[in-house]
Amino acid sequence: MAMDVVDYEIFGSEMQYVEVELDPGEAAIGEAGVMMYMQDGIQMDTVFGDGSQQQGGFFGKLMGAGKRLLTGESLFTTVYHNEGSGKRRVAFAAPYPGKIVPVDLSKVGGTLICQKDSFLAAAKGVSLGIAFQKKIGVGLFGGEGFIMQKLDGDGMAFIHAGGTLLEKTLAPGETLRVDTGCVVAFQPSVDFDIQYAGKIKTALFGGEGLFFATLSGPGKVWLQSLPLSRMADRIVMASRAAGGGGKEGGTALAGFGLGSLLGDDE
Amino acid sequence: MSHAPIAARFYPAGGDAHGHPALVELAGKVLQVLPEDSPPQQAPLASLQAATRGFNHSQWAIAWPAEGGGEHMLLIDEAAVGPLRAAAPALFAGGEGARRRSGRRFLAGITLLALVPLLVVVALLASLDHLTDRVVSHIPPSVEKQIGAAVLARTRLEGPLIDRGPAFEAVQTIGRRLARPGETLEFHLADRPEINAFAAPGGVVVVNSGLLAKAASPEEVAGVLAHEIAHVELRHSLRQIVRSAGLRVIFGALAGDYDALGGWAAQLGELKFSRDAEREADQRGLERLAEARVDPAGMLRFFETLDKAEAGGKAGQLPALLSTHPATTERIAWLREAVATRGNGPVEPIAIDWRSIGGASR
Repeated sequence: MAMDVVDYEIFGSEMQYVEVELDPGEAAIGEAGVMMYMQDGIQMDTVFGDGSQQQGGFFGKLMGAGKRLLTGESLFTTVYHNEGSGKRRVAFAAPYPGKIVPVDLSKVGGTLICQKDSFLAAAKGVSLGIAFQKKIGVGLFGGEGFIMQKLDGDGMAFIHAGGTLLEKTLAPGETLRVDTGCVVAFQPSVDFDIQYAGKIKTALFGGEGLFFATLSGPGKVWLQSLPLSRMADRIVMASRAAGGGGKEGGTALAGFGLGSLLGDDE
Repeated sequence: MSHAPIAARFYPAGGDAHGHPALVELAGKVLQVLPEDSPPQQAPLASLQAATRGFNHSQWAIAWPAEGGGEHMLLIDEAAVGPLRAAAPALFAGGEGARRRSGRRFLAGITLLALVPLLVVVALLASLDHLTDRVVSHIPPSVEKQIGAAVLARTRLEGPLIDRGPAFEAVQTIGRRLARPGETLEFHLADRPEINAFAAPGGVVVVNSGLLAKAASPEEVAGVLAHEIAHVELRHSLRQIVRSAGLRVIFGALAGDYDALGGWAAQLGELKFSRDAEREADQRGLERLAEARVDPAGMLRFFETLDKAEAGGKAGQLPALLSTHPATTERIAWLREAVATRGNGPVEPIAIDWRSIGGASR
C-alpha cells in the first residue's frame, strides 16, 4: 500500500506542535481535537474509524471505531487532504507538556506498540489498531493497562509523550527496569514484563509501587519522564480544593489575599 | 526443501544493539543467513535454538553459538516464519508449546478476574438474609424508636395526622385490644384517602382514614392492625431498611454507579422481600387476633373486599395497600384456610359503634 510521504517540522520545546507539509493530493490523519492550524487548500474530512483504507464496508468501519473507543480515543479521526496545487501545511499540537516523537514506521519494521492515548497524527495509510496485552500481570500492574495501541504501516507517525523523552535501543537480552507508566512505545520484538520490586519496604516507602515494568531487547523503546497521570496527581494534590493550597508556606497568604480579591465576582 | 528467503533481523554476537536486516533461508540442514551489510553466515540446523519473544509472542528469536563465543541471533516476525517452520517443525515445537501455555494462562487469568467479583457478589447476595439478621439483631430498641419517630415525622410532612375524634378513638381502642401487656405500640391515624396502613420500626403503626372508611366493621380494621403489628414484631421494616442498604452497597460497588442501578436493584429486592414477609405477618397477625379474642374472619373479609376492588378497579386505581401488600388470590386462599382451621376460638366483638365514625356509610 502506498503511504503518503510527509515532510514535517517540530516546533517548541516543552509544549510542542508538529507542522506537516502535504504535497498536492497527499493527506494526513490526526487525532480529533489536536489540529492547531492549517493553510488554505487543505480540506478537512472527518471519518468514522481510523481512516486507513484497508478496512472495507460498514462492519470494517465499525470495528475500527470500536477499537478506537477501547483505546480511549474519539470514534472519529480527521483526515486532512491537500486539495490545493502547491505544498500546504497543517499543524498538530500536543495536548499536554511533553515531546512529540516522530517515528518512521518503515524504519522500525512497520509496527509500533504504544501507550493508548499517545497517538497524535500520522501520514494517511497508517492504520491504528489495538494490541491487547496478553500477560495478566503486565495488564494489571504494568502501568499501561490491557489495551495498547498498535500503529501499522510504513509512513511517518507522530506520538506524544509527557515530560522528556528517552529513545533507547536495547541489545538482545539487555533489560531495562522502568517505573510503571513511563513506557510510551516499543517495537514488537521487545519483551514487556513486570518485576516485583522485591522488598515490601521499598514497595511501601520507595514510592515506586510494587512492580517495575521491565523491557528487554532487542528493539527500540521510548520512555517518558512524566506520565500525564503523575502530573495530574500532583496538580490535584496541589490544588486548593484538595487542601494543598498552603503547601508553599510563603505564598499561601499572598495567594489567599489575591484569591479573595479576584474571587469577589463569584 | 527450498523456499523464498525470509526477511529477518540479524544480531551478531558482540555486535551493536540495532541489528542488521538480513535474508534467511534453509538449505538442507544448514540455515543460510545473508545480512545486507556483512558477510553471509551459516548455522547448522542442529545448533539452532528457537523461542518466542516480544509483545504477545509475536516474534521468534533463533540463536546459535558463535565461533568466538557468545551467540548470534535472528529475529523473525511470526507472520514471516511460516516457511521455515514448515521446513523444520521440531525447532519451533518448544516455542509453540510455550506460546500455547501462555495463551491458556491468559484465558484462565481473565476468566478468574471476571469470575471473582461475580462470585463475591453472588455470595453476598446469597448470604444477604443471614447478614441482615445479624445486623438487625445488633440494632438496639432505642435506635428503632428513633427510626420510628423519623418515619412518623415524615408522614406528618406528607399529610396531617388526626389526633382526636371518634375515628381516632376507635383506632386506639382496637390497638389497645390487640396490644399484649408490656408492648409499647403507637397507633396513628393519617388523614389520607388511600386504603393503606403501614408499620415503622419502634412500634409505630399508621392507618389511613381511607382504610377506616372502606372497612365494614372494627374486626376488619383489627385484622389489618394485627398484620401491621406483626411486621413491627418481626422487625420487617427494619430488616427491609438494612437489606436495601446492603443491596445498594453491593450493586453500587459492582456497577460503580451508586444511584442508578443500585437503587433499581434495591427496589427489586424490597418487593421480593415483602412477599415473603407478608405471609409471615399474616400468620403472626392471626395468632395475635386469636389471643385478643378478635374474630379472624374480619381480616379475611377485608382482604376479600380489597381483592374485589382490585378486580373491579381500573389499572392504576388499585388500593395502595395492595401495591405494598399483594393480595393475591393465593394469599386469600391461604388466609381462608387458616381462618377456617383456627376460627373456633372464643371471640368477643369489639365494642365500637362503627356507624358513629361514618365508616361503612361512606
